[in-house]
Amino acid sequence: MALQPAALAEAETVSETPDGSEGSVGPARLLRRLLRSPLTLTGLIITLIFLVLAVIGPWISPYDPSAVSDAATAAPSAAHWLGTTQNGQDILSQMLYGARASMLVGIGAAVVTTVLSVLVGVTAGYIGGLGDEVLSLLANVFLVLPSLPLTIILAAYLPHSGSFGIILVISVTGWAWGARVLRAQTLSLRKRDFVEAARATGEKTWRIILRDILPNQVAIIAASFLGTVTGAILTQASLAFLGLTDVTQWSWGTILYWAQVSSALLTGAWWWFVPAGLAIAVLGTALSLVNFGIDEFINPRLRQAGIGTKKAQRGQASVRRRPRRARHQGPAVRRPAGAPFTRESTDAILDVRNLRVEYVSGEVRTPAVSDVSFTLRRGEVLGIAGESGSGKSTLAYAITRLHKPPAEISQGEILYTKPDGGTVDVLGMDEAELRDFRWEELSIVFQSAMHALNPILRIGVQIEDVIIAHRPRMDARERAARIVELLGIVGIPADRANSYPHELSGGMRQRAMIAVGLALDPEIIVMDEPTTALDVVIQRQIIEKIMELKDRLGFSVVFITHDLSLLIELSDTIAVMYGGKIVEMGAADDFYRRPQHPYSRGLLASFPTLGGPKRELTGIPGSPPDLRKLPSGCAFQPRCPLAFDACASEVPRLYQVRGPGGGSTEAACLLHAEGGAKNQAPAETTPNELATGETR
Amino acid sequence: MRVLLRKLGFYLITAWAAISLNFLIPRVMPGDPADNLIQQFHGKLSPSAVQALRVLFGQSDKNMWQQYVSYWHSVFTGDFGTSYAYYPSQVSAVLGQSMYWTLILVTICTVLGFLIGTSLGMLAGWKRGSWLDSLVPVTTFLSSIPYFWFAIIIVYVFAITLKWFPLSGGYAVTESIGMNAGFIGSAINYAVLPAATITVASIGGWLIGMRNMMVTTLSEDYVRLAEAKGLPKRRVMYAYAARNAMLPSFSGFAMSLGFVIGGSIVTEVVFNYPGIGTVLFKAAQAADYPLMSAIFLLITVLVLIANLIADIAYVFLDPRTRES
Repeated sequence: MALQPAALAEAETVSETPDGSEGSVGPARLLRRLLRSPLTLTGLIITLIFLVLAVIGPWISPYDPSAVSDAATAAPSAAHWLGTTQNGQDILSQMLYGARASMLVGIGAAVVTTVLSVLVGVTAGYIGGLGDEVLSLLANVFLVLPSLPLTIILAAYLPHSGSFGIILVISVTGWAWGARVLRAQTLSLRKRDFVEAARATGEKTWRIILRDILPNQVAIIAASFLGTVTGAILTQASLAFLGLTDVTQWSWGTILYWAQVSSALLTGAWWWFVPAGLAIAVLGTALSLVNFGIDEFINPRLRQAGIGTKKAQRGQASVRRRPRRARHQGPAVRRPAGAPFTRESTDAILDVRNLRVEYVSGEVRTPAVSDVSFTLRRGEVLGIAGESGSGKSTLAYAITRLHKPPAEISQGEILYTKPDGGTVDVLGMDEAELRDFRWEELSIVFQSAMHALNPILRIGVQIEDVIIAHRPRMDARERAARIVELLGIVGIPADRANSYPHELSGGMRQRAMIAVGLALDPEIIVMDEPTTALDVVIQRQIIEKIMELKDRLGFSVVFITHDLSLLIELSDTIAVMYGGKIVEMGAADDFYRRPQHPYSRGLLASFPTLGGPKRELTGIPGSPPDLRKLPSGCAFQPRCPLAFDACASEVPRLYQVRGPGGGSTEAACLLHAEGGAKNQAPAETTPNELATGETR
Repeated sequence: MRVLLRKLGFYLITAWAAISLNFLIPRVMPGDPADNLIQQFHGKLSPSAVQALRVLFGQSDKNMWQQYVSYWHSVFTGDFGTSYAYYPSQVSAVLGQSMYWTLILVTICTVLGFLIGTSLGMLAGWKRGSWLDSLVPVTTFLSSIPYFWFAIIIVYVFAITLKWFPLSGGYAVTESIGMNAGFIGSAINYAVLPAATITVASIGGWLIGMRNMMVTTLSEDYVRLAEAKGLPKRRVMYAYAARNAMLPSFSGFAMSLGFVIGGSIVTEVVFNYPGIGTVLFKAAQAADYPLMSAIFLLITVLVLIANLIADIAYVFLDPRTRES
């Protein structure tokens, strides 16, 4: 199972193009993507127009750009569209000739620079070792050397050099940035499986670089190429403007040079200096727009909306807005400590009803969680199991209202029982109410503490800011004492409050994460795969800690994992998710002994039990459904060994299934529908057919 | 501490490389600048000036190593010989006069550009998808404009047409240079347009970089957790998102500073500002090689110092860099 945050992975698999896989970013895909964004397309078109003008410029220009005439310093007119210079030279003709010189330098310098960058960057990244050290040092040195002064010096020693000299000078001073980026990229690609595999099979180095490494860097190389074109045109213009190039050769910079030395400003001849600067700026903007497109291609996160926007707020809950009530700021009502949880408990703390979360992409809405209902009782541990992509993490984020566009909660209620006994819909809370509710009542422990703790804030600070935000009356000393207490609860030495996350071991980080979660004594803790990233021994320690704390502090837990055996051990109730729906829910014990849904049976059959007799692990054939194209009827039907005709057409709701011991499970399977289906296949399937753990 | 020493070591190596490059360039490039200059002055140069010139640009009677040693001697003593563009002033005297103008101008503009650009970038990233997104194409256009052309337009609008600010120079000729109110006021008045040019043109780069990092940071788990903790919005934005998003700006400081320096050189020329940029322009016009190479060294050393400061700030902002 992927270690990246599941919600992100889910968001990417359901977005319009599955570009979460950086493994294959080919040139064709890049171009297709670029053509789709209007801004990028505009940039491409403008760039192309300039290119065409640069090629045909000298043929279509109305005059010889250097030819003097009597029309000195004439404003734009029909004869001279862009006016004339002091000597009566036609500025439009100069611009057209200049386009060729400027574009030639821009593209020429970009080609040479890019070749240098790729050579140095890829070599350094690929060979590693001493060669890498030397090349990296060289690149870093060139990176901090101020390039324009160096360019000026070099250009000054090549007096009146033509375009070729300028191209060389710009390339020599400009290759370092691209080389550094490409080196980093090559380093990370080199560690990828497909490159390692190619190396292991004895593939020739240059073939690996050409076939496996370079194609994956097309986007970065293109970005650096376009950036250099802009930079080179600007540099050339600066050099020409300073009179360091051959000032008799027309380029946009030379036009500005002559305008400046002829004091065009003072004579008010704006037409002399406006066109050239505008041309450079427009071309530069166009190239940057194309580059933004490439940036968004490289980094898909750039396409998401920020969390400060209204749109993002809507994304968190699009259901309804309630009229805002006055916030009560009185002393919080503390609820009495609850009795230990039993199966018969009816003391509901969180009631989720018909929840639906969709990923919205244009007109397409892909449900990641649909029609999910469950009740969490005080002190209960609700385990939610499922494969990746089953919607379990999406569900966790929905309960905490942490979704960002494109995810959207489109339906349902999340009713929380307040300490005074009344209920409140979490989805209807406004910003302030939500801030009060968060952490005070419900906290969340993420899968990877490495990513969930801010790497540049001390552990203590990350606990303290919760207290500052929610308990404004506590003073610094009380807060410090509370931090020490919390760290003590999870077994972290008090002096570690001053440590940064990277200074802690993996297990300690995760415990720190739990300490953050406990900071305000919440009623509910949502744990999203809290131990997945840890090794088995540490995992066990953490789980034991959680269970011990739960018994001592009396909070309820929503525990999400794909690890079914772990879940059976620690949960009171288990819900199994498949294709965004809960397909089976029941007491852990009943679930373990008599799983009712064929999918649950398959899941149980693919995990070894901790105790009990040895048996063959069977697993489930096929793969999880694509949420964009869910099969009709029951989502599990294509993989189900017990599927019958009706399964392909009818979507099963959750049916009550009474076990022999009096326990009651719910299963979304037509096998358990009243009447009809039972005749076609027995509800109590023979255990031999689908091996399940019989005893514990 | 070890990290800081390593940074220091890197900048020392870079300084050595830059200074050696400056030694090599005239010796590798075609032509003999020293002979050219000596001929231009038709024997009017004093023997000591000729000697200084030879040290800088090649002495035919000594081998490379000896030349290199005497070159280093002149670097440390600051003896770059006589300037030809400002004959008979010494190069060091010319630089001494012009350096502070540029130093103050560029420092203020860099700080302003960084603060404004980063703040706007932070907001644009935080509220991505809102009207603030339109800042991106606007600032892209602004940062694609050549500095000197932007300067020309600003001069045309604010100095020539509206006459709000003086056209060119660094201070009113009626004032005498020194720490007196009249001079300082006049210097500020003259600096407004060049500073505005450099600041506005440099905002774009900071803004776009910060916005992209902000957007990337916002999808980090720790920002999501900060939100889940019910922290006030400002706390999430500053302490969890912006502070982390700012870090790459510091490590990319060198590149940005390079652009600002390059831009300010040409901007000074347009305003005829009495700083290093204008001097470099005049030196290039007059083929004043000693002055040019001294300016290159000076700018390089200043840029290296600025980068060292940025690196040290980075170490303080990001605890992860303090080890290894």
